[in-house]
Amino acid sequence: MRTFHQLFARSPFEPLAKHGERVHEVVQLLKPVTDAFLAEDWNRVAELDEQISRAEHKADEVKEEIRDNLPKSLFLPVDRGDLLRFLHEQDGIADSVEDVAVLMNMRRTVLPGEVGQAMSKLVDKIVLTGEVWFDLSQSLPDLQEASFTGPEVTRVLEIAQRLNDLEFQADQLQAILGRLAVKHEEEIGPIGFFFLMRIANAIGKTANKAENTADLLRMMLAPS
Amino acid sequence: MIFAPIVWIALATGLYMAWNIGANDVANAMGTSVGSGALTLRRAIIVAGVFEFGGAVLVGGNVTETIRKGIIDPVTFMPGGAFGADGPMILAIGMACALLAAAIWLQAATLFGLPVSTTHSIVGAVVGFGMIALGAEGVAWGKVGEIVASWVVSPLLGAVLAFFTFVIIRRLVLRQEDPVAATVRWAPYMVAVVGTLLALTFAYKGLKQVMPDPHPMTVMLASLGFGGVAAIAARMLVKAPEGNPSGSPYVYVERIFGGLQIVTAALVAFAHGANDVANAIGPLAAVLGIAGAGFTDVPTANPVPTWVLAIGGAGIVIGLATWGWRVIATIGKHITEITPTRGFAAEFGAAVTVLLATKMGLPVSTTHTLVGAVVGVGLAQGIGALNLKTLRDIAMSWIATIPAAAALSALLFVTFRAILL
Repeated sequence: MRTFHQLFARSPFEPLAKHGERVHEVVQLLKPVTDAFLAEDWNRVAELDEQISRAEHKADEVKEEIRDNLPKSLFLPVDRGDLLRFLHEQDGIADSVEDVAVLMNMRRTVLPGEVGQAMSKLVDKIVLTGEVWFDLSQSLPDLQEASFTGPEVTRVLEIAQRLNDLEFQADQLQAILGRLAVKHEEEIGPIGFFFLMRIANAIGKTANKAENTADLLRMMLAPS
Repeated sequence: MIFAPIVWIALATGLYMAWNIGANDVANAMGTSVGSGALTLRRAIIVAGVFEFGGAVLVGGNVTETIRKGIIDPVTFMPGGAFGADGPMILAIGMACALLAAAIWLQAATLFGLPVSTTHSIVGAVVGFGMIALGAEGVAWGKVGEIVASWVVSPLLGAVLAFFTFVIIRRLVLRQEDPVAATVRWAPYMVAVVGTLLALTFAYKGLKQVMPDPHPMTVMLASLGFGGVAAIAARMLVKAPEGNPSGSPYVYVERIFGGLQIVTAALVAFAHGANDVANAIGPLAAVLGIAGAGFTDVPTANPVPTWVLAIGGAGIVIGLATWGWRVIATIGKHITEITPTRGFAAEFGAAVTVLLATKMGLPVSTTHTLVGAVVGVGLAQGIGALNLKTLRDIAMSWIATIPAAAALSALLFVTFRAILL
C-alpha cells in the first residue's frame, strides 16, 4: 500500500514563513537606500538598488515554489484563496520596496532638507511596520501547530491590530510629506515632484501591503 | 498425507502473505510515528514486532474464523456434502489457490506500483474460489456484504474518532494559556484510556488462563487496572521540560506527545496484527485443519489453534525484519508533515476502529482506516495540507482488486483441481 504517505502534501505554512524571511531581507534594505538617496550618495543608491533587486528575486523564487505546491486538489485547514492572497500581499511588500529603490536610482532627485526629513520619518515608520509584519508572518507555523486556536490566535490578532494602527500613522506621515512637497514644489521642479510623489506612494504602499496581510490572516482565523 | 503437496503450497503462500504484510503494511501503521520523530526506526521495529505478534496471537482468531469459514460455508465440503468424499480436498485446494491468487495479485500490484489492500485481495480471492466451486449461491453474500460495508464504515469511523480525539486535544491542550502544563496534566489520562482499551482486547483470554470463566466485570476491572498502572507510569515519566522554554511552547508539547504517541503506535501495531494476520492465516488454517483430519473431514468446531496464529505472527515479524524496516524508513521520511499531537489522534482513531472490527470478526484495511483517520484530523484543521487525490486511488484499488483477485483465484482453482484430483 503506497497510498498512505502520498496522502501527506507539503504544508504551505513553513514555506510562507520562509517567504516572509526573504521579503524581510528586502525590507531591511529600505532604510539604507533611503539614507543614501537623501545623502545624495548615488553610487551607494545604485549598489543598494541592485542588492534589493537580487533579494526581491530570491523572495519570488520562494513564492513560485509555494504556488506550484498548492494545487486545487489539496485539502487545507484554511481557505486556499486566502493563503494565495496572503502570499500575494506579502510579496507585494518586497515589490514596493523594489519600486522605491528603482525610482531612487532612476533619477538623481535632490530634495530640500525639510522634505528629506519628512521622508526619513515616513521610512522609519515603515521599517517599524515591517518589523511588526515580520513577527506576524513568522507566527504562521505556530498558528498551524496550535490548530488556529488558543493564546497564539490572541497574540496574532494583537499584532494585526498594531499593524492597522501603524498603517494609519504611516498614511499621516505620507500626507505630511505630500504637503511639504507642495510647499517646496518650485524648488523641487516638476520632474523632481513627479518622482518624489511616486517614491512616496511606493513607500506608503509597503505599509498597505503589510496591513493587507494582517487582514487576510484575520479572515483565516475567523471562526468558520 | 498431512504433508500433501497442497499443504506445502498453502504453507508457503500463507507464510509469503504474512511476510508481505510485515514487509509492506506494517510500514503504514508505524510510518506516522517515525515521520513525526516519536519513534526512532529501531524502536519502531521493536514496538511493531512485539505488538504485531501479540495482536496476531492473542486476538487474531476472530477474523481468521471469518476468512476460514464465514465467506463460504465449509459444511458443503464435508464428505456428506455436494462433492462427496472429494469435498475436503476440494476445499483445501480452493483455499490454497485463494492464498496463491492473493499473493500473486499483491506481487504484481507492487511491481506496477499500484496501491492494493491485502485484506481486499484475500477476501476477493476466497469469493472467487467459492463462486467457481459452488456457484454464486454458495457464497455467503450476507457476510460478504457485511465485510464490504465494513470497508466503507471503517475509514468513516476512523475519521470521526480521530476528529473528536484531535478536537479534545485542541481543547485540553492547544487552546490553553500554558499548553505545556496542560499536556503534562492530561497525558496520564490519555495513556489510561489507551491502556484500558488495549487491555480490554485480550483481558478475557488472558484471565481465562487463570480462572474458568471470567465475569465481564472482572475483565473490565482488570483492564481498568492495567490502564491505571499505565497512567501512573505516565505520570512519573511525563515531566515539563527544565528551564524556561524560550520561543514556541508547541515544540515542548510535541516532544511530550512524542512519548504518548509510542502508546498509540503500539495500539495500531496490535490492532493491525490482530486483524491482518487472518489474511495470511485464514485460508491456511482451513487447509491445515482439513489436512489434520486426513482430508476426510472439514473440522469446523475447533477454534484456530494458537500455533497457527503464531506462524502468521512470526511471518509478519520476519517480513518486518527482512524488508519492512526499509519501507518504514522510506515512509517515515515522506510523512514529516504530521506531528505527534496529530499522529496520536489519527493512530488512536484508526486503532480503535480496527480493534472494533476485529472483535466483530470483520477483515478491514488498516491502511484505509488510517487514511480516514488522518483526513479526520485534517477536517479538524489539524494538518497543513492533505492530498485528497489519494482517496480516488483508494477507490480505484477497491474496484480493481476484488474482481482481479477473484478471477485469478477461480482460474488457479480450476487448474489445480484438474491436476490434483
